[in-house]
Amino acid sequence: MEKILNKPIANTFAKLGFNGTRVDVVDGVKTQELNVAAGETKLVVIDDSSLELRAEVGAGATLKLIQIRRGGEETGVVDVHVNCLDNAKFEWYRVVLGGDATYDNCSVELSGNESSFEAYVGYRLDGNEVYDGNVESVHTGKNTTTIITASGVLDGEAYKMLKSTIDFRRGCKGASGAENEDVLLMSETVKNKSLPVILCSEEDVDGQHGASIGRLDEGLVFYLESRGLSTESVYELMAAGKLNTIIRKIPDEEIRNGLE
Amino acid sequence: MSENKTHIEDVNREFYDFRYEDKDSFKVDSGLTPEIVEQISREKNDPDWMREFRLKSLEIFHRTKMPDWGPSIEGLDMANIVTYVRPNAERMNTKWEDVPENIKDTFEKLGIPDAERKSLAGVGAQYDSELVYHNVREEVASKGVVYTDIESALRGEYGDMIRDHFMKLVPPTDHKFAALHGAVWSGGSFVYVPSGVSVEIPLQSYFRLNAPGAGQFEHTLIIVEEGADLHFIEGCSAPKYNVANLHAGCVELFVGKNAKLRYSTIENWSKNMYNLNTKRARVEEGGHIEWVSGSFGSHVSYLYPMSILAGSDSRAEFTGVTFAGQGQNLDTGCKIVHLAPRTTSYVNTRSISKDGGISTFRSSVVVDKRAEDSKAAVSCQSLMVDDISRSDTIPAMEINTSKADIGHEAKIGRIPSDAVFYLMSRGVSEEEARALIVSGFADNVSKELPLEYAVEMNNLIRIEMKGAIG
Repeated sequence: MEKILNKPIANTFAKLGFNGTRVDVVDGVKTQELNVAAGETKLVVIDDSSLELRAEVGAGATLKLIQIRRGGEETGVVDVHVNCLDNAKFEWYRVVLGGDATYDNCSVELSGNESSFEAYVGYRLDGNEVYDGNVESVHTGKNTTTIITASGVLDGEAYKMLKSTIDFRRGCKGASGAENEDVLLMSETVKNKSLPVILCSEEDVDGQHGASIGRLDEGLVFYLESRGLSTESVYELMAAGKLNTIIRKIPDEEIRNGLE
Repeated sequence: MSENKTHIEDVNREFYDFRYEDKDSFKVDSGLTPEIVEQISREKNDPDWMREFRLKSLEIFHRTKMPDWGPSIEGLDMANIVTYVRPNAERMNTKWEDVPENIKDTFEKLGIPDAERKSLAGVGAQYDSELVYHNVREEVASKGVVYTDIESALRGEYGDMIRDHFMKLVPPTDHKFAALHGAVWSGGSFVYVPSGVSVEIPLQSYFRLNAPGAGQFEHTLIIVEEGADLHFIEGCSAPKYNVANLHAGCVELFVGKNAKLRYSTIENWSKNMYNLNTKRARVEEGGHIEWVSGSFGSHVSYLYPMSILAGSDSRAEFTGVTFAGQGQNLDTGCKIVHLAPRTTSYVNTRSISKDGGISTFRSSVVVDKRAEDSKAAVSCQSLMVDDISRSDTIPAMEINTSKADIGHEAKIGRIPSDAVFYLMSRGVSEEEARALIVSGFADNVSKELPLEYAVEMNNLIRIEMKGAIG
């Protein structure tokens, strides 16, 4: 599997075999085009950078995109558009560990039969940090699959908005999709907005979504305290647990270990 | 192996599509001008404040934009809608025999007097823009329960109470059709249940729109005082015409401390109807509002009953079913706002789409930072019956405190053929198996209705299944 790192991002993209063309750079946002050839697997890692990406994942190919934001004052903008052909697979691993403001859009079209999209979004925000994310999966191919899993922790006066949409278009027979979000609220002044949407114009589909938003269960806190943990440690442990749900999915051991 | 589809029949509307010519009725001109609003106000013998309120609302209507989201309402041209139609009847009767023959016949066919005799504590019947009949059982009235038309209440001893509450929950500035309602409202019911009184059998209002190209704008105001208990049922239907009809009613419910109100609706407007109704409840400390809603009719619906949980420990429940068939675009759901500590809400809905029908479930749960220790759960399920229909689920959640527990779940899919097959293998006929599965799917609503109404709802749907399992 080819692994592409982004430091420095422009050179990395050029050097490490994106077979698309770099299109534009506006206000530090790099627009890339990427074609993953049929049968190929590419792992792309982007750290702390804004990105515009247009990608096509060829028949039977896999694209794994890992994007980590580790904080910082600049506004982060991510705009990813991916089209998956027959049996193609796109996996998006997005972890936001702070940063003043982060705006994400990840739009995927599953145009090929049997193609799939998996999104794993984790965030931990504190202070006045803002995360506004949009994940959208459009099913036009038959027997296509989407899994969107988000898990995060909000503290301080953090603001988070996550919109996730599974759109079953007419003809995507046998498609299935599931969205799930789990949010831990750690402070009384956080603001959380969740909008899990399913649009459906095909009968032969199976779609579901679920969300769980709130604080830690008091019984659980009490139990862990009775086992010698301080209240702070309990919260820290559970917050880490929420994020690790996503981090554990990252298909690169080095990155995974670094984050854990 | 190809799989045969389970077939579900449309809602049978023959029962509701009879109509009478409205040749003897009085109508204002179509369209919306200050003169027409003044004319309605004169017809109604409004107090001055109400006339001014109507004119102010008209101004708001003209300066407010049409909604730019949801189903298209381009087919609705206000210039063609007649906003006031007075049937050829005395203003309001308390004796059934005094109601004019054709109107009486309409409600007889709809089973209203029969239901009143069997299972209701009181009935109100509105025909076009006017209530034509209102009655409440003596034993209920003797407890101090007031159930009357809102217009006589406005001019009588409850005038001040109505002025204090009228369009306070749904101000004309809320949206364009709330403003329209404020300008041309006519008819509707006023219910007042004094402290501690429990009305053990339901009250019902039935709204029938007979005139083609007309609008119905009834206002329902219910005040349930501390510790009181009421079940109110609302039904509506209309015959089908080739021109657009409009329903822009308004329901305002005030649920007092530790009081309980169940508000049930079986809506079966015809498929030329634009149903742009607004319903809202405010619930005080320890109070409880329950919405039970069945949406079967209309060409286009925008319907999202809203509960404002203003008092601590108050509760809201919303149970709904929506059936969208050919030519229907039904955008339904609810909104719940948690404003006080320890408030709870539960939303449980089902929607069925068939023959190109579009159903959208749209909900919003807002938890304010004051609403500590609040809980909310939303569950919605959609059934796609064929691949030319559409079903969307758009649930929004806004949580502004950490001291809350919010859950949401949704599912979308089709009638499970294996379940039909399983039931058939146990000796149930195919038709019965399908009926069982679909009634089970919609039973969140039917089990919340009084038995007579649950049976009526099942008759209304007349779900029939055909086809074989391949």
